[in-house]
Amino acid sequence: MGEVIVITSGKGGVGKTTTTANIGTGFSLEGKSTVLVDADIGLRNLDVVMGLENRIVYDLVDVVDGVCRLRQALIKDKRYSNLYLLPAAQTKDKNAVTPQQMQELTSELAKEFDYVIVDCPAGIEQGFKNAIAGANKAIVVTTPEVSAVRDADRIIGLLEANGLRNPQLVINRLRVDMVKRGDMMNIDDMIDILAIELLGVVPDDEHIIVSTNRGEPAVTNNDSIAGQAYRNIVKRILGEDVPFMNLESDQGFMSKLAKMFGFGKKK
Amino acid sequence: MRYVKGTKEGLYILIKEDMDLDKIKDNLKDKIKPSKRFFEGAKIVNFKGKKLTREEFDELKDLVENDYGMSVLGDYTQDTDLLSDKEEAKENTAYEKLPYDNVIQDKVLMVRATVRSGQLIEYNGNIVIIGDVNPGAQIKATGSIVVMGTMRGVAHAGSNGDYGAFVSALNLLPAQIRIGDIITRSPDGLGIRTSVPEMAVVKRGLILVEPYLPNR
Repeated sequence: MGEVIVITSGKGGVGKTTTTANIGTGFSLEGKSTVLVDADIGLRNLDVVMGLENRIVYDLVDVVDGVCRLRQALIKDKRYSNLYLLPAAQTKDKNAVTPQQMQELTSELAKEFDYVIVDCPAGIEQGFKNAIAGANKAIVVTTPEVSAVRDADRIIGLLEANGLRNPQLVINRLRVDMVKRGDMMNIDDMIDILAIELLGVVPDDEHIIVSTNRGEPAVTNNDSIAGQAYRNIVKRILGEDVPFMNLESDQGFMSKLAKMFGFGKKK
Repeated sequence: MRYVKGTKEGLYILIKEDMDLDKIKDNLKDKIKPSKRFFEGAKIVNFKGKKLTREEFDELKDLVENDYGMSVLGDYTQDTDLLSDKEEAKENTAYEKLPYDNVIQDKVLMVRATVRSGQLIEYNGNIVIIGDVNPGAQIKATGSIVVMGTMRGVAHAGSNGDYGAFVSALNLLPAQIRIGDIITRSPDGLGIRTSVPEMAVVKRGLILVEPYLPNR
């Protein structure tokens, strides 16, 4: 029986879809059979980020409505044979499925795959309720902005109220230089407010924009610092103890990150 | 209900089949009298819609000419077919006489707009989009699809299983084309970009995309 992980944030634009694509692809790189589920009905993006948009014939709503079998709607990734995508419908809206139906769907998928990763839409309405319905683990994505952290806090509360205890945190798009100058919230401040386990920090990286536009997740790119961060996140989920997880101090972590930046530049 | 119909020849007064003479008179009073000044001096070609007897015709003509100041030009006739029937018959024969093989006479839905992501245009007939179709949009027709712009979305022609249907666009860059139950997708990567109008048709069980104006 596989694990169902929901990637959520509350606020839009913090990188849920990018994180879903990268963690999912990361799992398949580690040899785990993985399916990505786009729960953002009506505003689907995961197919575009994965570069699989032109392969969509059936979607999640078709499966739920019984138009097709689950197998028929799953799109095999063009690079990795153990990675699949269940796309969202674009011409429907969030009310096209119910939490009950999502729960049945994800548990069906969990029978066949090691990991089911659900990309949650922004907001706390129907779409959010659908996305978290079948999950047994949650990852909250936030950026170092007051508004994103505020929304993440709200989401953590809602997750706990729905029985998803101990969500883990991914801090996305951190700019080390700005943190050093004191112009950006630092990691300790965020952990202090949110009081959940830190799964990883993804630095701001131009590679992400390029890879998103090309439909190739950055995690496959060895030159990308964000890709490295996602690879580490995947390893941590798999239970490996990867350094800069246990941050003794903000300083130590920063110097490590700075070193990585330097390394990246030389290349 | 329209009671006066304008045509190339002039005005006709339309009479419902089931009305008797008194009712017709009442109706004329109700409808023409309020706009008497507008109709004064108007030349009525004839009455239409109901087969009138000679007496009824004369009485109505008298009423219209004397009470409302219009003049009836036509004479009494038994031929009271509604004009519209004749027009339709004429159009059909005109189309049948065309010396081409590929003439489609079917319902057409014309949309003058940019069709955006998440929008689905579905029609029982042909669809013509005057504008672009963006990625994430879907056009579904039982007949053919013509896009007078750039087609970037999903086009499904012949959705009832008609392999004779086609998809054409000034700039055909779709995510997917489906004709009947055949599905094809665009190649990965940017592919070859052409700027000539193209058309997708089914040939030997495959969807084939080719320019339909070979000399451009």
